[in-house]
Amino acid sequence: MKDIARQQMSIKVESMDMLNAQIQMEGKASASYLAMASWCDQRGYARSADLLYRQSAEEREHMMKIFKFVNDCGGNALSPEIKNINHDFSSLEEVFETALSQEIEVTKSINNIVATARKNNDFGVENFLQWFVTEQLEEEKTMRDILDLFDLMGRDGIALKLIDERIPAK
Amino acid sequence: MFPMERIHSSRYYTFYQSDTERCFYIDFGHKLVRFTFCELLSLRQKVWAIDIESHFDDEVNPHGLEILSLCNKEHLFILNTLEVLDLKDLLTGAFFMLDIAAQHPVLASKA
Repeated sequence: MKDIARQQMSIKVESMDMLNAQIQMEGKASASYLAMASWCDQRGYARSADLLYRQSAEEREHMMKIFKFVNDCGGNALSPEIKNINHDFSSLEEVFETALSQEIEVTKSINNIVATARKNNDFGVENFLQWFVTEQLEEEKTMRDILDLFDLMGRDGIALKLIDERIPAK
Repeated sequence: MFPMERIHSSRYYTFYQSDTERCFYIDFGHKLVRFTFCELLSLRQKVWAIDIESHFDDEVNPHGLEILSLCNKEHLFILNTLEVLDLKDLLTGAFFMLDIAAQHPVLASKA
């Protein structure tokens, strides 16, 4: 008997399922950053808005990277259905706390896929995800550094404006 | 039709591979359906996406039926709860036999 299925797909179906779930997660993260950017833009936090718009685009790039990988490996990448995006934030600090929590969730999910791929000897998937492992460390650091500014500079009045001015521009 | 090799059977369905055509067949009892590999992956994703719990909720799915459109809308199936569960079993076993699933069928169906 010919190994037709294996000839058609280079990765395990479990990896494909997990990568499709990751596509969904990255898509939701992109939409969520867009909601945060909108909140900041409307309240005059221009640099924060710029950063969050960029983050939104970056998450979409991540999503597309995984999407293309799944299809290139012969899998079936699924376009994500995005709903239930939160648009309500009580403060600028809450925006960045939400951003950091979101990044931590993405990191956990990536690590989980890497661990499963390793367990299943799906080395192509493990190797592909190494870039994401490094990227997530950087993403978490960016948000953590911003949250540190609130401890250093305060949470009211002019402090918020000064924090916004110190948001890194790429 | 070209000769086919039986890969896996469940209670209601049988899964075949045709080396000559480089495709797969599922015998649904009353109908034999041909699948390319892409169509097979798509079937698997559709079956996996079925919320079986809704079959036991009179308000969400009062009749416990599922409508499945296969192979780019070429076929339409109406399955009851037992048939959906059986199709899941068939695909879990078949993918394991095709050597592209990492998990043993018993483990996969428990997940």
